[in-house]
Amino acid sequence: MKKRYALYAAAAVIALSLSSVPDLVFADAGHSKASKTGSPGKASDVSRTINVTMSDNFYEPESIAVKEGETVRFVVKNAGEFVHEFNIATAEMHKAHAPEMMMMVEHGVLEADRINREAAKKMQASMGHGLHDAPNSVLLEPGKTGEVIWTFPKKTELEFACNVPGHYESGMVGKIKLSH
Amino acid sequence: MLRLSLLNAGVVGLSLLVLSSGSAGAAEYSLSVDRVKIDTGDFTRTGIGYNGKTPGPVLRFKEGEDVTINVTNNLDESTSIHWHGLILPYQQDGVPGISYDGIDPGETFTYRFPIVQSGTYWFHSHTGFQEPDGAYGSIIIEPKKREPFRYDREYVVQLTDAHPHSGSRIMRNLKRSADYYNRKQETILDFIAEAKEKGLGATIDDRMMWGDMRMMPRDIEDVQGFTPLINGKSSSQNWTGIFKPGERVRLRFINSSAMTYFDIRIPGLKMTVVQADGNNVQPITVDEFRIGVAETYDVIVKADEDKAYAVFAESMGRTASVRATLAPTEGMVAEEPDLREVPRLTMADMGMDHGNMAGMDHGKMSGMDHGNMAGADQSKMAGMDHSNMAGADQSKMAGMDHSKMAGMDQSKMAGMDHSKMAGMDHSNMAGEAKKDDAFYASGSGLVPSAADGGKFLSYSDLKAQKPLYEDREATREIELRLTGNMERYIWSINGVKYEDADPIVLQYGERVRFKFVNETMMTHPMHLHGMWSILDNGNGKWDPIKHTVSVAPGTTVYTETEVDAPGQWAFHCHLSYHAGGGMFRKVIVEGGPKSTSAKPSSVEG
Repeated sequence: MKKRYALYAAAAVIALSLSSVPDLVFADAGHSKASKTGSPGKASDVSRTINVTMSDNFYEPESIAVKEGETVRFVVKNAGEFVHEFNIATAEMHKAHAPEMMMMVEHGVLEADRINREAAKKMQASMGHGLHDAPNSVLLEPGKTGEVIWTFPKKTELEFACNVPGHYESGMVGKIKLSH
Repeated sequence: MLRLSLLNAGVVGLSLLVLSSGSAGAAEYSLSVDRVKIDTGDFTRTGIGYNGKTPGPVLRFKEGEDVTINVTNNLDESTSIHWHGLILPYQQDGVPGISYDGIDPGETFTYRFPIVQSGTYWFHSHTGFQEPDGAYGSIIIEPKKREPFRYDREYVVQLTDAHPHSGSRIMRNLKRSADYYNRKQETILDFIAEAKEKGLGATIDDRMMWGDMRMMPRDIEDVQGFTPLINGKSSSQNWTGIFKPGERVRLRFINSSAMTYFDIRIPGLKMTVVQADGNNVQPITVDEFRIGVAETYDVIVKADEDKAYAVFAESMGRTASVRATLAPTEGMVAEEPDLREVPRLTMADMGMDHGNMAGMDHGKMSGMDHGNMAGADQSKMAGMDHSNMAGADQSKMAGMDHSKMAGMDQSKMAGMDHSKMAGMDHSNMAGEAKKDDAFYASGSGLVPSAADGGKFLSYSDLKAQKPLYEDREATREIELRLTGNMERYIWSINGVKYEDADPIVLQYGERVRFKFVNETMMTHPMHLHGMWSILDNGNGKWDPIKHTVSVAPGTTVYTETEVDAPGQWAFHCHLSYHAGGGMFRKVIVEGGPKSTSAKPSSVEG
């Protein structure tokens, strides 16, 4: 199963789609239905809102506690000066996602403090893949706010993390504690 | 109130007693300068240390506090302590003849200065060759604000190149014969082997060129025969840092060597570089990095496995190495990798004029990647036949690291239009074999590559996390040619050695652009005291600030300095025997506020 999720992550990036929403996000496990990592939540099911602030290069809060099966709305604000991501996935999925983010940097799509939409279009044209929408993550430029609504599964080791190159490795990752 | 301020970073077991004045914003430290015994496992000798040991203690300061440091000289000769990389009033900078007169035998000198920065730094004697004799220690400054990274524990990893000879004896020997310590010299056997390969004529021509330069292709380390140490321990003495699997560990690398650059890796672990020369950089994950003399790099590693990892430092000239260990329990030893092959300097490292390329054998250039010739003057190459090179770049794609794409679902790629990939710019692909590094001459024999594959840190990768200065146009440029006469072991700037040179005069408030042109075949780590050097590495507003900037042979490197510190400062190559040989200048900053000058220092007999 683990392997399959990693593939989803990659497949989503490869998919031919350039998001038109203001905050471009990376795809991840969102294509699966009820999966190990949880599933996109409905606004009507939201039991509470958790505010997450992204700074350079860390989150507040540093860890998050939710209940199994709970649907949570995350309001994520990028209060830093760099682009950051809020992505709910397993450690393995984050690891698989990292090279794709690196590729975005190398193609000039992901600059330190902005998302270069022109470069994204070029990358889309030349490689057939670019930025993509995904319900489990949000990629934000400085000053922007985004939202993720997520229904959590049972007993999975999940992390929220930023996969902008170097950020996860230097500690921009937190545990999601699931309780009954 | 007593505060034990020595970070017992597993570095030194000695405790430095700190007498705090009681208020949170001030701390008092005491250091004694002592004769000490050095035992590397290879040799023993007497040297110089602080508080009875070399390396000296880890001084732990807090950003925003005022520190008082009482330094007592127990030697029978004069001494000094320079706080390397610290921004402070010039009278506190510790350079005899520039900041003050030094500290006489038996005297206690009291340094007083505010701590206005944070990060990893070090301190050392700036008198004679006391630093190569062991007179160095480390400084950690805790920031006021939360750092842009997280770690569970930290260690100082301080490197040196301990030599069985005293520094002054080494300098005497070098003056007598510049190749005294160059054991990697080419032999008559090398000559015969090369003549067989290239032909006698070519080999003689080559030797004559090197002869004209008064240098040899193996002049990468002009002082060999040292034992590298990490935190005072050689490989056999195996300094060990303990970690719990899964922890993030911050390693504060400091190169306190007299002469030696090191290439550093931890086989099995990626290292995320978060600071260079004490300043936060945008985190960059690498497999290996090169640390110039006097530089510092902070990296974060995450060791998940319950096993011993080697922290391996190999000298740039591959004449010696040291292995320390990161392990879950004391007593574990990580295997020490072998030294890699000795690199050879090339004509590119001689700073060869590219206008002479007409004489080159172009037949041999078919495999050349012209993308790497950034530094070459293309206009001089007009006569070259490029017609055969259409396919050249494609060959580089073979070197692409597809392993990084492991997470990709290849089956889903079937629908991709590969024809569109022709236009892709692969030049930026990570993991590509032998990527160009703008901080080495094109074709240089010194260009590093990661031993186990992957990413080797380049200066170009360093981007300030939060730039200290606004990016602006420099007000003027000063050219500093790094020059030398290897035969007489004279090192100089613009052909003039320190004792014959006028000071460099700067005006407070200007932004000076320094153009370093390395006309020698050695790499020089240039250190400006008192003010930051903004390294122009092409990252614009993100250009990083450093205290020491390495200039490789045959290259030109630019730095800019916001002249914001009045007084007089030292500016020199940090290779001890190059500085001693004359590659050194005094810098005078005219104008500026008087109020920024030092609080009075006291000297007691």
